[in-house]
Amino acid sequence: MRVLALLTVILTGILLFFGTQDMPNWADPNSPASIHVSPRYIEKTLEETATPNVVTSVLADYRSYDTLGETTVIFTAGVACMLILRIRRRRRE
Amino acid sequence: MIAAFDLVLLLFVLICAIAAISVKDLLSAVIILGAYSFFMCLLWAEMGAVDVAFTEASVSAGIGTVLFIAAVSKTKRRSKD
Amino acid sequence: MFDFILSKYNYWIYIILMMIGFYAMIGKKNLVKKIIGINIFQTAIILFFVSTAAKRGGTLPIVEHAHGHGIHHIHAASYVNPLPHVLMLTAIVVMVSTLGVALAIVIAIYRRYNTLEEDEILEQRK
Repeated sequence: MRVLALLTVILTGILLFFGTQDMPNWADPNSPASIHVSPRYIEKTLEETATPNVVTSVLADYRSYDTLGETTVIFTAGVACMLILRIRRRRRE
Repeated sequence: MIAAFDLVLLLFVLICAIAAISVKDLLSAVIILGAYSFFMCLLWAEMGAVDVAFTEASVSAGIGTVLFIAAVSKTKRRSKD
Repeated sequence: MFDFILSKYNYWIYIILMMIGFYAMIGKKNLVKKIIGINIFQTAIILFFVSTAAKRGGTLPIVEHAHGHGIHHIHAASYVNPLPHVLMLTAIVVMVSTLGVALAIVIAIYRRYNTLEEDEILEQRK
């Protein structure tokens, strides 16, 4: 069983290793992720949101519905933890 | 972005990851996982992602380690593998 | 050849980290060890995603001389790409909440079966 797991892991690693040949070089300023969408956010964030920190302005202004959904996820996780631990205790008594 | 600093931090992260899954004592494994999270946080601060770095340091290395220790103290500490 | 290794070695180390986490998820028998493997796996993928944002010669994504100097032209090439950072902030918080639910389920399993090893639990269920 352990040999089978090791074999699966090594196979996945070899596949991903061949996948890295098509990735852009590390810290390349002209990689596709850096030249398409993000310059618009960096250049416009000061005049549109008046916040110098770009990460904060995207997180709480452009994508604030995403952050609202994230708080829903945390709330659901807390309620799920409470329910799981409470049911077990009641059944044991 | 200094290549030597980056390489040393990646080496520490690898050592911590291998130690965390091979230690038989679960409490030691959890503490090593906390050290792994802090090395990961240094790596992100070095890449320029300061917001991600302090979120990792407070949420994952702080609250995550506390949750793990609470779970280990409620269950068994020894593991077979 | 040396240039190729120097520009790609980061990705290879991320893949090795992901392999360690994946092996702990499917090869280890203890449930807490499996959760540690999930944590390592997720952190490796977040590390890969953040590393696509790095730029050589780029500084932190905080606009310099923001207030009191008026609006001036901002060069996007001198700042690190901020979008992967935002997405990964959300991913880290979701990671910790799933960790909490997983550990609660582990505590519930221990109360019922009195063990954490996967093969002993399967033995008791027969």
